[in-house]
Amino acid sequence: MSHPLEERLRQDGIRCRVEARDRLAVLIPDDGALQLGMETRRRAIQLVREAGFSHVSVELDPVGAAFPRD
Amino acid sequence: MELTVDPVAAAKETRLIEWLRSRGSVLVGYSGGVDSTYLAHVAREVVGREHMVAVLGRSASVPAHLSDSSRSIAAEHDIPLHVVETTEVSDPRYAANPVNRCYFCKSVLWETLVPMARQLGLNVVVDGTNADDVSEYRPGAKAAAEQGVESPLAGVGLTKEEIRTLSRARGLPTWSQPSAPCLASRIPYGMEVTVERLGQVERAERALRDLGIEGDLRVRHHGDLARVELGESIIDTWLEPERSAMLVAAVRSAGFARVALDLRGFRSGSLNVLEGVVAA
Repeated sequence: MSHPLEERLRQDGIRCRVEARDRLAVLIPDDGALQLGMETRRRAIQLVREAGFSHVSVELDPVGAAFPRD
Repeated sequence: MELTVDPVAAAKETRLIEWLRSRGSVLVGYSGGVDSTYLAHVAREVVGREHMVAVLGRSASVPAHLSDSSRSIAAEHDIPLHVVETTEVSDPRYAANPVNRCYFCKSVLWETLVPMARQLGLNVVVDGTNADDVSEYRPGAKAAAEQGVESPLAGVGLTKEEIRTLSRARGLPTWSQPSAPCLASRIPYGMEVTVERLGQVERAERALRDLGIEGDLRVRHHGDLARVELGESIIDTWLEPERSAMLVAAVRSAGFARVALDLRGFRSGSLNVLEGVVAA
């Protein structure tokens, strides 16, 4: 089941899955990479904080990660 | 050009000098960081090299390059140096990585250094705690207090910025050095601290430095995932495709399967916030 934050991010053009690790949100780009300018990055931070996370990161090259994830 | 030092900071340094002179001899717990290097330098000047020693604790939780640079700085400034191997990682209370992990690390350190000072006939043991540190969550300070270790920088009210300014005026290379807490600070509380994990963090940060990343940098260990924190001003550069590919390769070379870049960037005590130990 997708995280509720994903829909909110998509509305702002940030297309990714959200992996919640307690208070850390890991954004996993749909297309392998997120094109994040400064404004978009700051918008993502704002939305993630509003969703109750203290930390947000974007996974880089998730397709090339060494091990499969859940 | 001679640097002008803020008179408030200069007055605090004068009080520090008076404090050290009144003690006569001193053992400085030394890490090669901004604070303890400044303190050791002032102590060397005030009490003389026959009446002081700086002691560096070396273990898997301290990056090897930092130990090396600490030795070099001491040699360059004629600061007498002892190096002791500390074994905090083999202490199960430390390895379990509780919120007060630093207490166990510092207990091991001071339980070694305080008797050493007595053997060497040195009157007082001091650490580099500064006035800013006092307001932060620092369980290691409790261990120092229990062992009678004094913190004269905090005692005279010297802040980190003032210590940087005074260090620069003294020609110390550490004046602009980023803070460098131990590698265990990159491992979330509750995740066991192991030599292997400390090594992964050290190798990843070294690989990123080799890419030319300067200033604040942390690789936070989240198991299979490495979360990289950079200075806020360079995040967007390292999100660009070519740079991010280099960053990923560097971190994966240290044994992490997944690599993520923190979008807010470096925050001192970031894991304390993440774990809810301090407020966001």
